[in-house]
Amino acid sequence: MDEKKAAILGEIPRLRRYARSLLRDRDSADDLVQDCLERALVRLDNWQTGESPRRWLFTIMHHLFIDQMRKVNRRGEAAMLPLEASEAQAAPAEQVESIASREIVDALQAISPDRRAALVMVAIEGFSYAEAANILGVPAGTLMSRIARGREELRALLDDTARRRSIRIV
Amino acid sequence: MSRRDFSERDIHMALDGELPGDERTAYEAWLEANAEMKAKSARYAADRAALRAAFNGVLDEPVPVRLSKVVQGEAPVVRAAPSRSRWWLAAAAAAILVIGGAGGYLAGIGRLGLENTAEDQLAEEAIAAHVIYAAEKRHAVEVPASDKDHLQSWLSNQVGLKLVAPDLAAQGFQLVGGRLLPAGQGKAAMLLYEDDKGERISLFVTAESAAKAKGTYGSEEDGPAAVYWLDKGYGCAVVGSLPRERLAAVAKSAYGQLLAGLQS
Repeated sequence: MDEKKAAILGEIPRLRRYARSLLRDRDSADDLVQDCLERALVRLDNWQTGESPRRWLFTIMHHLFIDQMRKVNRRGEAAMLPLEASEAQAAPAEQVESIASREIVDALQAISPDRRAALVMVAIEGFSYAEAANILGVPAGTLMSRIARGREELRALLDDTARRRSIRIV
Repeated sequence: MSRRDFSERDIHMALDGELPGDERTAYEAWLEANAEMKAKSARYAADRAALRAAFNGVLDEPVPVRLSKVVQGEAPVVRAAPSRSRWWLAAAAAAILVIGGAGGYLAGIGRLGLENTAEDQLAEEAIAAHVIYAAEKRHAVEVPASDKDHLQSWLSNQVGLKLVAPDLAAQGFQLVGGRLLPAGQGKAAMLLYEDDKGERISLFVTAESAAKAKGTYGSEEDGPAAVYWLDKGYGCAVVGSLPRERLAAVAKSAYGQLLAGLQS
C-alpha cells in the first residue's frame, strides 16, 4: 500500500471523533467518514505531498457535512431553535454515557452546525485558529466569533438543563 | 510588554492557546482581579474538559472494517450498504424537530438522496431472490436443469430476451434450474447453479434497463454480493457468497456466454 493510503488510514480515528461530535449517532457519523474517505480516494492526486493529511481530510469532511446541513436548512426556511437536544435526537446513542457526558453531548447537538464545527475543531481536535479557519473556509474573525458564541450557547444550555433538573428534584 | 484592556474575547483565546506569550502575565493578572471573568473562564475550561472526555473514547474504538476497506480496497466500484450516503438523513431527522414550520420540508424529504439507482435496484432484487431461493432445498427452482431446453425457451419468452443458460462447469458450477420472478415493472429470469460442495450462485437477468453501468454490490460483510452489468435493453447480476475474485471470475464467464447467446 502506498504512503498516501497509509497516512489516510492513520487519520480515521480522528475523523470518526470529529464526525461523532457533529452527528452523534454512531452509524451516521461513520457514514459521513466513509463518504469522506471515498471522496478523498477519488481525489488523491489533489493532495499535495507535504500538506498535512489531517487538514486535507478534515476539509473534505467538513464540506460534506456543511453542504448537507445547508440543504436541510434551505428546505426548513427557518432558523434553528435550540430545543432540548434529547427531544431532537432521532436515534438514541448506543453507548452508556455518564449523565454529565450525555448532557454536554446533547447540548453540543443543539447549537448551530457552524458553531458546533468551529468549537469542536478547536476545543476537541486541537487545531489552531488559523488551521481551523482554513479548514472551515471562513475568515479568522468569523471563526473566533463562532467559537465564542458556541461556548456561550453551550454553557447556557447546560445551565438550563441543570436548572430544570434541580426544579424536578424539588 | 503591551498593556491593553482585556475582554471576554481573550478568555477564549487564552483557553485555545492563541494568546501571545508576552500578554499571558497581564492577562492572568486581569483575570485575578475580575471575579466574574475568572468564573467564566473556569466554566469554559470545565466544559472543554467535559467535551474532550465525552468524545475521546472514539479514538480507542477499533476502526470499522468498512472504513479501512474503503482505503485499502483494490476495486474502485464496490458499493457498501444501501444506507451509506444517508448519514445526513439522521441530521435531517434531528433537524426536522429543531426547525419550526417544517411542512414544506417534509414534502421534500422523500427526494433527498433516497432515489435508488437502476443498478442498486437490480443488485438488490438479485440478492433478495438469491437469499430466498438459493436456501431452498426442494423448491429452489420451478424448472429443473433436466428440462434445460424448455427452461431456456420459457424464460426467453417471458423475459423477452434470447436466454442461453451459461455453461459454468469450468468454474465448478452445474445448472440446477431456473425460475421466473418479478423485477421492477417487468420480469426477470433467475438461473441457479451449484458446485460439488453445495455452494450456490444465481444469475439474475432482466430486459428492463435504460442505464449503462457495471460494478459490484455487497450489502454486508458476510452476505452475498452481486456483480452486475446494465446495458441498453438488459441487465444481469451474478450473486453468491463466494470470495470476490472467484465470484468475479464466474461472473465474467457467465456474462460472456449470456452476451453471445443474446446476440446469436
